[in-house]
Amino acid sequence: MKKLTYLFLLASISFLSCEKEGIEGPNLNDLFGELNIIEEFQIINDSASFNTESAYFTAKFSKIVDWKISITGISSGAQKVILGKSNEINATNSLWRGEVTTLPFFKEENCSVLLTFPSHNDTISRSYRINTAKTYGNGSELVVSDFENGFNPNFTNFFQSTCLKKIETGSAGQSDRYLVQEGTCDWDWLIGYIDYPTNHWYQQGTLNANPENVYFNIMINGDSTLSPTNEANSLFKLEFYEDENQDGYYDPNTEDRLEVEFDVDWNGWKMVSYKYSDLILAWNSGGNAIREPNKIIKFRTLLLANPESGFAKADVDYIVWSEGSSILNQ
Amino acid sequence: MKNLFKKIIFLLILLPILSFGQINQKVWYDGNSRAMFYRDALSGDLKDIDTTSTRSEGEGYTAIDLGMHFTPNDQIEIFSEIRVKNDFGYMWGSGAYVDLRRLSVRGILNDRISFNLGDMYLKQTPFTLNNFDQELLKHEPSVFQAYRDLINYENFYLDNYWRMQGLQTNFSYTFYNAINSFEADMFASRVRGVQWLGEPELLMLGGTSLIKLENSLVFAINHVNSFEVQSSSLDTATYYNPVTNLQLKYAKKINSLTYRLSLDFGGSIRGWEKNNGSTIFETSGGFVKAKLKAAAKNLKSSVSFRYVDPEFRSAGSQSRRVNYISSPSTYAYYTNNSILRPVSMLDITSDPNIYNHKLSTSLMQYNTLYSAISPYGEATPNRAGVDFLFDYKNDEGSVLAIADIAFFQEIIGQGTEEKRSMLSSGLSFTAHIDKITGLKNKTMFEASLNTEAVNRGGSELESISFNSLLLSAGLSYELFHNFKIISGIKSFSGKGNEVGAQRDEYDQIVGYELLDFDSKEDILMLGLQYNFTKDIYFSLQTNQIDIDDRTNEISKLSLSRIYFMFNMNL
Repeated sequence: MKKLTYLFLLASISFLSCEKEGIEGPNLNDLFGELNIIEEFQIINDSASFNTESAYFTAKFSKIVDWKISITGISSGAQKVILGKSNEINATNSLWRGEVTTLPFFKEENCSVLLTFPSHNDTISRSYRINTAKTYGNGSELVVSDFENGFNPNFTNFFQSTCLKKIETGSAGQSDRYLVQEGTCDWDWLIGYIDYPTNHWYQQGTLNANPENVYFNIMINGDSTLSPTNEANSLFKLEFYEDENQDGYYDPNTEDRLEVEFDVDWNGWKMVSYKYSDLILAWNSGGNAIREPNKIIKFRTLLLANPESGFAKADVDYIVWSEGSSILNQ
Repeated sequence: MKNLFKKIIFLLILLPILSFGQINQKVWYDGNSRAMFYRDALSGDLKDIDTTSTRSEGEGYTAIDLGMHFTPNDQIEIFSEIRVKNDFGYMWGSGAYVDLRRLSVRGILNDRISFNLGDMYLKQTPFTLNNFDQELLKHEPSVFQAYRDLINYENFYLDNYWRMQGLQTNFSYTFYNAINSFEADMFASRVRGVQWLGEPELLMLGGTSLIKLENSLVFAINHVNSFEVQSSSLDTATYYNPVTNLQLKYAKKINSLTYRLSLDFGGSIRGWEKNNGSTIFETSGGFVKAKLKAAAKNLKSSVSFRYVDPEFRSAGSQSRRVNYISSPSTYAYYTNNSILRPVSMLDITSDPNIYNHKLSTSLMQYNTLYSAISPYGEATPNRAGVDFLFDYKNDEGSVLAIADIAFFQEIIGQGTEEKRSMLSSGLSFTAHIDKITGLKNKTMFEASLNTEAVNRGGSELESISFNSLLLSAGLSYELFHNFKIISGIKSFSGKGNEVGAQRDEYDQIVGYELLDFDSKEDILMLGLQYNFTKDIYFSLQTNQIDIDDRTNEISKLSLSRIYFMFNMNL
């Protein structure tokens, strides 16, 4: 019995020393502790040329915290936002290759950099210089038009008499110039359309035959606040025409037309990207129903609006085909 | 012809009655009865401040639970208990209810295997299936019996058994060799039925096998598995929670001392499985408990050690009695803002309606103020520690004293690497003054003191310092045979800070609540009680109840109560 008692006490003491590593649940300090900056917020290098370089930020905090780095181009108004939740900002969670979150694209310009914390009032500001702006694409892209050289007269088009299209300088999505499309038409849904024939694209080439690999990208500047009801008033439609028999003409009875349409329910520039395989076959499409981007003969952009709802606007810039992913992801 | 027809009719009626009597059937009745009435009146400052609550409120009822036992033969008994309840204040049956309270069939197959079908009471070990006591009950004086009996009876709390529905069977064999006997007990229970577009059906299967050896060694294995039935719901994931407890017990008498050593160990798995067989979330954890008891003529003592993993989960043993997500019967809404009054010592002591009857598949909410150390009983996860118990009774049985002390520590820190250390202690003293002093009239005095202390070091944010004290006392004096005057007090105070854990659907901690306590609650009682027998009595008492949460200006309540209960348990 004595032995059993000793055994009992020994087992008790040995188990009492049982402790597990780590903690259960989130760290108390992260949830309720004060935020202290242990290492100052810094930008590695004061400037960068994003054709060859990248930038990143560093800082250390007293706790794991949600943080937000906002980089705003002072001239362009472009913005890049980097979000994170950690007690340290470093190259792995803050690498910036010059890409943009909110259009337009960055230019060669000075930027303001703000570090903020959604659940704290602290704000730290820095400045940064972009020597060379990032160029998008992986080398396989085809630019249809960026309107820097004006409107290509070979892009056949039609706009209602009360509506217009024009090239504007300044406040462009990319570089300096863009195409304005706007107006009011109280007798028809169509504000205007433009055809972009393949043989008049800015960059010539053949698109990849795999529809899973081909992306259509177009910058659109919306202004839904112009609608009387402060709601999306502009409807944008894209139509893609395939010349399946390669005879140089599109025959609606024997060849495919693919399309997609969406509300322009945002303000400012936005890059709209569609994978070719996601496009919808038009209801009266007469072709083989196979999506063949390499056989596109032209595409058409249409700006539509309810005749009863008044003014519509959807400016356009930087129309480009990309391969592998949407252009902003390259 | 007319007479012949009458005779045939008479025979047709009489024959079944005659045959009924031939198979020796027996129907017998028993029952319980209760009449209860209480009335609460606001008092103290709240009476003047709170202008929206009624000045007083109360309710009462008479209930008779009629038990019918039908034994068609000597191997089967069919039992049903029907409740007839009539709320005070209604006429012609408008406030009357008739409910089926219990229904079961039990019997013995071939004089060897007993079975029970329907309502049944189940209990295994404190880690597999156990309905552990509610908080603030420890060492409660007997003068609060009227409240305690009401809560236990209305909620089917019989010792630490859970009342469930299903099938139970057991059998035992006695041998005449190294193995003395073998016993087996198995059950299948439906914990939760099918719900329309709701949670799936929850079943619990379990069993105990026990082997007694001739050298006073006992081996036992206890296993329960609670699980949801995938096909009974549109839910995409179903819960499972098998728990196993192995036991080894040894008893030996040395001189005048009897020693009993027991060792419990086992583990649990709990998870949710998708339709395709993949697991959404699964945790497992183990436990160990060793206990050594020594008993002499006047003194019993025990020391035990317990270790329960942070991820140990057992629906059968961690389901709590007090449901804090419930509204109390007395002044559920109070103050001028008509806020829901939180469950307090008043309700835990006297309100049967805040109690839970079902097993819970997740860790139920608790109030750290009242239960800071073992909110889930012995199976409280993330605890390692020792406890000591001493129980003294003098030769005459006139003085009883119980002392216990327990020290526990967290195995893993919550939200910090610092760990809570917890100390609880209890002291209970009962004196039959008439036996000590030779007083003619029966006089009994009871007093107890229970403390809980929780501490954690670290930074200002991490540190915890919480203390609570429950002081109880009771005095009863027999005015004449079986008629006594009773008085008692329950006084609880808690002060300090704690950090409450907020858990997700899988019981994982996702956040914390910083808690500050400075609370004092009192129940004072004075009354008369007449005992026909131990379980048949009436009690008329007045209570003064004060709740004062000093951290919150509006959380104060003072009540004066008149309480009457006639209780008859056969």
